[in-house]
Amino acid sequence: MATVTLQNIQKRFGAVNVIENLSVDIADGEFVVLVGPSGCGKSTLLRMVAGLEEVSGGEILIGAREVSNLPARDRDIAMVFQNYALYPHMTVEDNMGFALKLKKADPADTAERVKKAAAILGLENLLDRYPRQLSGGQRQRVAMGRAIVRNPQVFLFDEPLSNLDAKLRVVMRSEIKAMHQRIGTTTIYVTHDQIEAMTMADKIVVLHDGNIEQVGAPLELYDRPANLFVAGFIGSPAMNFLEGRIEEGVFRTDKGLILPLPADLSPASAGGRPLVYGIRPEHIRASDQGIQGRATIVEGTGSEIFAKLECGGEQLSCLFRERIDIRFGDTVGVSIDEKRVHLFDKATGQRL
Amino acid sequence: MERTPVKRPFIKRRTLDRVGLLFAALIMVSPVVLFFLWMISLSLKYEIDNGAYPPILIPENFAWANYVQVFKENNFFLYFWNSVLVTGAATLLALIIGVPAGYGIARLKAEKAAIVIMIARMTPGLSFLIPLFLLFQWLNLLGTLWPQIIIHLVVTVPIVVWIMIGYFETTPMELEEAASIDGATPWQVFRLVALPIAKPGIVVAFILALIFSWNNFVFGIVLASRTTRTLPVAVYNMLSFEQVSWGPLAAAALIVTLPVLVLTLFAQKQIVAGLTAGAVKGG
Repeated sequence: MATVTLQNIQKRFGAVNVIENLSVDIADGEFVVLVGPSGCGKSTLLRMVAGLEEVSGGEILIGAREVSNLPARDRDIAMVFQNYALYPHMTVEDNMGFALKLKKADPADTAERVKKAAAILGLENLLDRYPRQLSGGQRQRVAMGRAIVRNPQVFLFDEPLSNLDAKLRVVMRSEIKAMHQRIGTTTIYVTHDQIEAMTMADKIVVLHDGNIEQVGAPLELYDRPANLFVAGFIGSPAMNFLEGRIEEGVFRTDKGLILPLPADLSPASAGGRPLVYGIRPEHIRASDQGIQGRATIVEGTGSEIFAKLECGGEQLSCLFRERIDIRFGDTVGVSIDEKRVHLFDKATGQRL
Repeated sequence: MERTPVKRPFIKRRTLDRVGLLFAALIMVSPVVLFFLWMISLSLKYEIDNGAYPPILIPENFAWANYVQVFKENNFFLYFWNSVLVTGAATLLALIIGVPAGYGIARLKAEKAAIVIMIARMTPGLSFLIPLFLLFQWLNLLGTLWPQIIIHLVVTVPIVVWIMIGYFETTPMELEEAASIDGATPWQVFRLVALPIAKPGIVVAFILALIFSWNNFVFGIVLASRTTRTLPVAVYNMLSFEQVSWGPLAAAALIVTLPVLVLTLFAQKQIVAGLTAGAVKGG
């Protein structure tokens, strides 16, 4: 186990700057998720830590060791790939023991460690099988087993769940998390799925166009997004953004809708500039007195109701946890939980 | 179970389709098949039947003597052994050179190198045969099988390289990355991961190189002496100026073809798979 330090990392592919200047500190035993839309450089960053991609500038430290110029095989890391990358010509047991065999470890000891890892992952009965004889979830487990057996300093996961169906993804999500809690190895996990990031991470690093938008614990990112990008990226369904200004202690959108403001917000700081008002759909409640809107989309899942309301020319997504009877075209009253309102500067996108 | 009347025309249609397909296939392969049947027929006929009109396909008396003559008259076993040595050596050397070369080209995306190899293959053999003949003469190699082994590499190496490029390109890069993270050196990645996965490709490359080398005629006719002839050259030498003895000629040709034919029959599935590898990536 070790800390991982990325210092002023740069990456260029020819003339294209993928990552300009990026620094992250990862504590020993921490589960860090790199999250962002495709093309944000998260996989490239992970591959640079793995040693599969060269850094164009900056330093990568694992523990106190500078590894930027070491080949992958000397970095003492293990990686789980999106498509599992199991060796098709080897049995599960050989797949898991491959790294130890390369190290010329004692075969008896290797077998012992493979057996132990297999027990953790429930693979004891599959050790003689070949990868092609396994289901997606089993392959995923073997890939994780291959990483565990090594007992490396750092685990790297590159979108490991995106090839699984929705149900299995939820199961494997908690399995990976449980494995981390049990073994405690420092983990860097890349995903584009913010739910995975929220549920698994100790710390989330939100990346966008090769830059860090925000680093923080999941709930920190949810409660206090630093900018419009993070606010829109974290949370599902996505946060409502309404453009407008503060006037006389209330927020008036460009289309004239009046919205409440948190009490602790001093209007002076907002000073009449163009702003963006952010409110999450789950922080809007049904209420008879509040803002009136016509339902243009109503989707019920049983546990919750998602509705899109048209209120004074603005679109407002709402998520109701209580069972209320709305149909398409109905007029609904809603009120906004003003303690949960986020305000952003429209020009810079930064939180006020 | 009750029979539904709707189904019957459908089944009829399918049988018709199948018969049509068979018929079309038959027409397409008929030139090859008829040629082959005629060769068998020739090899089993006495000289008198060969010139008969109307032609005879199945003779009354089988001329097994033609086959006996092939083995008796020509130093057939020597030539067979020459062929085995030349083809065997040329194929094995091609695998030793071509498999790593194909891997290197595929991984470094060195298409130019691949094209250079292809050009070597496309150049007509005769254009470099004469200079090479002189070279081998100067090296005093002409009485041996080496000139033929070396020159057969011109045929076998490109086949192996090109087939292996296709195979290695379809091997997912992640497998090799996983191996290097697991602690493998580049050589170990090749030997323990890339090579075992490419085994079907190696089999195909081996078979195709073998077929092309075995059937090669031009190189042998120029470079072989009386004692270093390979089988195709030996068959050609059965044609004399005075007369063509069709029976023994056809018999010899069939015997020469037989090993390759048997091999192709057994390996046709792999050959097709190998030739289309790279065409459907990840398929």
